[in-house]
Amino acid sequence: MVHYLIRRLLLGIFTLLLITFVVYALIRHMPGTPLTTDPAMMNPSRMPSPEDIERRAKLYGLDKPWHIAYFIWLGNTLQGDLGNSIPKNNAPVTRLIAERVPATLMLSVTSLLLTYLLSIPIGLWATVKSGSFAERVVSTALYMLYSMPAFVAALYLQLLFYSRLGWLPLFGMRSDNYETLSASAQLWDLFKHALLPVICFTYGSLAYYSRFIYANMQETVRQDYVRTARAKGVPPARVIWHHAFRNTLIPLVTLMGLTLPSLLGGAVILEQIFSWPGMGRLYFEAIGQRDYETIMGLTLMFSILTLGGQLLADVLYAIVDPRVTYN
Amino acid sequence: MSHRPEPRSTRRLALTISILSLAVFLANASGCGSGENTPAPAVKSDSESGAKAKTAGTAGESKAATEEEEEAAAKPFVLGDLLEPFTPPSLEDVDRTAEWIDRPVLSGAEILRKKQQDKGPPTVTAEQALKLKNDYPKNKENNDIILNSVGRLAPADGAGVDFDATFVRHVSGDLKSTNPIMISSITEFEYQSLAGFGYLGFDQELNYFGSKDSIVSWQMSKDHLIDKIVLRDDLTWSDGRPITAHDVKFTFQVIMSEAVSPPAVRQGIDQLKWVEAYDDRTIVFFHKAALATNTTNIGIPVLPKHIYEKTIAADPTLARSAEHSRLEDHPVVGGAYELVRRERNQEHVVRRRESYYMHNGKQVRPKPNLNEVRVKVIEDVNTALVALRAGQIEQVELRPEQWVSRTNDDEFYARNTKVTALEWTSFHFDWNCGTPYFSDKRVRHAMSWAFDYDELLNTICRGLYEQSRGNFHPTSWAFPKAGPTPFRQDLNKAEDLLDAAGWKDSDGDGIRDKRIDGRLVPFEFTMLTYQSETGIQTATLMKECLSKIGIICNVKPTEFTVLTDSQQKHKFDAAMGGWGAGTDPDSNSNLYMTNEGRNYGQYSNAQIDELFLQGRREFDRAKRAEIYGQIHNILWDDQPYTWLFCRNSFYAFNNKLRGYNFCPTGPYNFDPGIFGLFKPSASR
Repeated sequence: MVHYLIRRLLLGIFTLLLITFVVYALIRHMPGTPLTTDPAMMNPSRMPSPEDIERRAKLYGLDKPWHIAYFIWLGNTLQGDLGNSIPKNNAPVTRLIAERVPATLMLSVTSLLLTYLLSIPIGLWATVKSGSFAERVVSTALYMLYSMPAFVAALYLQLLFYSRLGWLPLFGMRSDNYETLSASAQLWDLFKHALLPVICFTYGSLAYYSRFIYANMQETVRQDYVRTARAKGVPPARVIWHHAFRNTLIPLVTLMGLTLPSLLGGAVILEQIFSWPGMGRLYFEAIGQRDYETIMGLTLMFSILTLGGQLLADVLYAIVDPRVTYN
Repeated sequence: MSHRPEPRSTRRLALTISILSLAVFLANASGCGSGENTPAPAVKSDSESGAKAKTAGTAGESKAATEEEEEAAAKPFVLGDLLEPFTPPSLEDVDRTAEWIDRPVLSGAEILRKKQQDKGPPTVTAEQALKLKNDYPKNKENNDIILNSVGRLAPADGAGVDFDATFVRHVSGDLKSTNPIMISSITEFEYQSLAGFGYLGFDQELNYFGSKDSIVSWQMSKDHLIDKIVLRDDLTWSDGRPITAHDVKFTFQVIMSEAVSPPAVRQGIDQLKWVEAYDDRTIVFFHKAALATNTTNIGIPVLPKHIYEKTIAADPTLARSAEHSRLEDHPVVGGAYELVRRERNQEHVVRRRESYYMHNGKQVRPKPNLNEVRVKVIEDVNTALVALRAGQIEQVELRPEQWVSRTNDDEFYARNTKVTALEWTSFHFDWNCGTPYFSDKRVRHAMSWAFDYDELLNTICRGLYEQSRGNFHPTSWAFPKAGPTPFRQDLNKAEDLLDAAGWKDSDGDGIRDKRIDGRLVPFEFTMLTYQSETGIQTATLMKECLSKIGIICNVKPTEFTVLTDSQQKHKFDAAMGGWGAGTDPDSNSNLYMTNEGRNYGQYSNAQIDELFLQGRREFDRAKRAEIYGQIHNILWDDQPYTWLFCRNSFYAFNNKLRGYNFCPTGPYNFDPGIFGLFKPSASR
């Protein structure tokens, strides 16, 4: 197992180098640079002179060939410096990312937990009640939820819970008087602000996961060993939970592993609608502004999370399925 | 089911390590990643240039990222090293030779208040005006009534003003920097108008004056080569230290330092030869040439010297060191408001600073009307409007569709009203004169005759905008007395002009063509446009119009950065775009002068080049107006653009607010701008 892990880690490092190299090449070949749409370039009265533009390009290393610039970036990264964002006035990329992590995790972790906590019972319940009227109603409702775009739901939820009922805030993470609130009131305030975004983040994946579990369970409950267990008089709940569900866990674990990068991925449109300072907007803005350093910082982070997620999934395989070994 | 481990691969392992080693080697060989022990750069004294040596601060916390940065770190920081050597004369010599002309020292609020008084009392009270529905463009009357009554400023003595009021406003982009010289976006300019120290302002008509709140006198030498400003002696930074002429000189030198990279403020200021502080209050600006545009160059955003002289050498980026990061969130300011809260990507809050208007226990300046301005970042325009309707924010800039269809109901008017005003922002098609299609001005005229302006203005623009009549807005003093008549669609004229220019359908395929360098070139070009609904619809309308006269126009909605990059590199046939206006008509020179930075369409006319130069050298407003009038008419005759429409300002305000007024660049970008806003004490 240890050898396996070491090999996977080394392969992961190689993959990381390859990903960052290719992404760097791609973004440096996109038309425009971080200075192209600098607001100063658009200002009728304050457009920088050609000498100034050249001076700034040189100062930021934009005059260098992309492959040299990549190794400069890599060298700094290996020493823990992800660089500074040119369009964001030289703000350190680590700070820009760190600023967004809490808000992003607050939504994604809550959403993920809710998804698993709700989808597993719903999936199992649907298996037990398969074909019944209630199961069909729930299935239809889940399909409808899955096909409804989150940004449409967001607008309706805003109109209902903010404009009509006035129960929940419209946007942002905190109220204006947040600092003056007690600790419990602050927690309540955060909860109220996060509720609508969390619902929008969750309902799509809830529908998907519960149907995923249901579909896998449908296949599993037809297996011979399940029939055997039933024939031996094992109680139905134990058959479902202990015999069938454990086998359904294997593909679910793969999904869980791949979910890791999405925890910090954010969602551009929902973050925009709710003015939520998450990672999705940062990535989106960085691409539009050709913010090379921020794009690379985020790419590196997501690559590490993806590779780590896959490794985690493989390790979890061995835990949930005793037949799997890496020796 | 069994999972086999992958075969051991020593070659892959070796390759991985090799690449990693190579990466580290190349990275180190490139000189990147200087590490923790980067030496603090020394500060070099430059006696030749007169630049004073500054003490070095502690080493910056961040690592030099590139070879240049490491070189820069090794190179001593020299304050003002972009300046040519200059030894300023003594103040006595300056005073003796200058033959000073007094320039106006005024208050923007007083100018506007006088203007409003001259109009006479409003026909209805503000409360009555707020009950009206603004049905522009059907009817302009109610809009004028609302602006005239609700826009009235508070009396000079502040009677009836709720000085405890907070104004919650909306912006769509976050405040990226609080440093006065690192500003570049609208949000930052607006923040600086509240928190920054300034000594020049301009009124609604974009006329400059010295700010009475900051200076006691402003004089200009008869030869227009020198300006002298004397600061008031009751100005303080928010840390209690006095604001002096040395701060202005220091900031000028910082801006003119190679290692410092201010995004938007060097342009213009780099036209100054020198700035000298003769004592704590007297600043003299020496210009390189006698130009009418010099006034715009002396407005320098000011840094507190006593803070930055200790830190600039260690971190000329003004953003990376621990101290500069701290100053970003806790800036020392010279303006009327100070930053009290900054939550990135969410909001920033500024609060009125007592030490701005009180000095030694005495009120020395008008007390700003608002106690706090809370600026909320909401990117989504629909969310912003919902928040306004619910009273959570108190001002939103409306999109045309919001003005027309989402702000007419009683529920909106229960809490808000809306107003529109002229804005000098116009949109156009830019023809690339460097392409075989548009090098001939007859073709460009044909394009302008071919377009359906009625469809554009009435359908796409929902009747909200007026047709553009060329480079300068008809309400600008630079617009000619005999201005051009706008184009109307005339396909016959367009076809005649194309025929005359040699673009005929010679092969009978329905598409016009022309033999160029022995090759038959069909008239098929690509129109780039930005990705907004209006941009795509307008470009598509042009495509439809041109298809009627045998021209194929391929519309290509393009991401903004790609669009701008293509334009800057002149790699386009035609593009849709728009420009706002600067305070001086000369700010448009870089759109049309040969080889200038924003002259994307490669237009060139020696007469235009010469006239813009003349306009800069002429000081008499009437004569300048004649010059710019000529420029306007020549440009109209050359049609480097097909001018389309002028976009107005559309804003919604909470009913509690009073005193909003507009200039050609919006409601805030003039004096008093946001300082005119107030809430009546009765609204509490």
